[in-house]
Amino acid sequence: MKRYLCILSCLLLAACAGNPRLQEVRALADDAPKLAGFNDLSQRYRDTYLREQPYLSAAAAQREEAIDRKRHEAYPDFIALHTAATTYLRALGALAGGDTYNFGDQTKHMAESIKAWPDTGLTDRHIDAYSRLVRLLMRAATSREQDKAVQAMLREGYEPLQGTLDAMHTLLRFFNKNHDNEQRIVLGMLEVEIPYADAPRDRLLAALARSHQQEKLKEYRLLGLRHTLAAQNIDAIRDRHAALYRGLDPLPGAAPDGANANGAVSAAGDAPPTIPTAKGAQP
Amino acid sequence: MSLTASLPQDLETLADSLSASADELHQRIMRGIRQQQRLEGSHIKGGPAPLTQGAAQALFENEVALRQQANSLYADAASHSLEGMGTTLPELLRLSDQARVAIRHIERVKELAGISADLLAVAAAIAAARPEHLVAPLESLKKQLAARQTQESA
Repeated sequence: MKRYLCILSCLLLAACAGNPRLQEVRALADDAPKLAGFNDLSQRYRDTYLREQPYLSAAAAQREEAIDRKRHEAYPDFIALHTAATTYLRALGALAGGDTYNFGDQTKHMAESIKAWPDTGLTDRHIDAYSRLVRLLMRAATSREQDKAVQAMLREGYEPLQGTLDAMHTLLRFFNKNHDNEQRIVLGMLEVEIPYADAPRDRLLAALARSHQQEKLKEYRLLGLRHTLAAQNIDAIRDRHAALYRGLDPLPGAAPDGANANGAVSAAGDAPPTIPTAKGAQP
Repeated sequence: MSLTASLPQDLETLADSLSASADELHQRIMRGIRQQQRLEGSHIKGGPAPLTQGAAQALFENEVALRQQANSLYADAASHSLEGMGTTLPELLRLSDQARVAIRHIERVKELAGISADLLAVAAAIAAARPEHLVAPLESLKKQLAARQTQESA
């Protein structure tokens, strides 16, 4: 009996290693940490005021406090998006790898839902995508049949993950524009003040200010690149996930003719059905 | 088109426009500062008016405020904050574009301060969703821009 089990698991492992879809899925899941750039930049966005403060006048600092509150209130929701996307990808990878992956706690935490949506520039589509992703993860926790489970998760997770990644992409655009204005406030203040520090007794001040200006320039240029890179990483994961979705086996009954099956699936992949907005229609 | 039509994209566009106006204002401030450095007080006709440190600081304060309003709109980008506003976004966009162009060409510091302050008041009314605060600066901005246009064509 034991030997049969051994042979069976060897066969399973071989099948596992040989299935290109499962390999692809595992590779995609391995790239989930690349989404972490979004987290760092969310945090940087949240802390904008801290960095701006030394350069602001008293009146400007007062105005900034209100914006600072908005940024802090929205921050947990940004992180929730990232958590949902990475948890889904990791769960997908775990299914494809045959491991048991306990993501019950994480989903429970995520299900405590997102509150401040109206203030973040996210649309209903994004919210819906997020909640569907959470529901899907809850269900996947009980399902173990490998390729079938992976396919089901890819199929059902397609729109929610795409929607969540879209939301992250949109937010990154706002972060980047916020970053541009922060940069121009900080560097602009230095640029405006330095020319007036030209008296002989101000030489030390002018030298320190110019050196500080150079550091800040470097910092902002690097941050600009990080925004671009984070957006590219999100796009890459979105594209690979979409490619996996297009490569799914046809659903039983959908296309009985094998010759037509691929065409039918890729057509469905090219034009994914829109997410239903009526919440009552969903389980 | 109503204000609530296609948010938050429109809000983002408006914030972009405010950022661009701030960019223009910054260029103008820097030209004024360079003029001040070059002339050491003796004014040459035709170029941008030179700026004293106090004037430059006051104008930069307007620039910062414009950027803050833009960032505030990015942070909102939400429809509910604009419901019930008594004007349309396209008109605001057009005006702020016009203001941006005007800032580029203004030679006199007083006009520069006036137009940037009006633009700022408009932006603040939008960001705070206070339509009742929008009318006065909007009219003043229109008047200033119109006056500039007749002045240029004359």
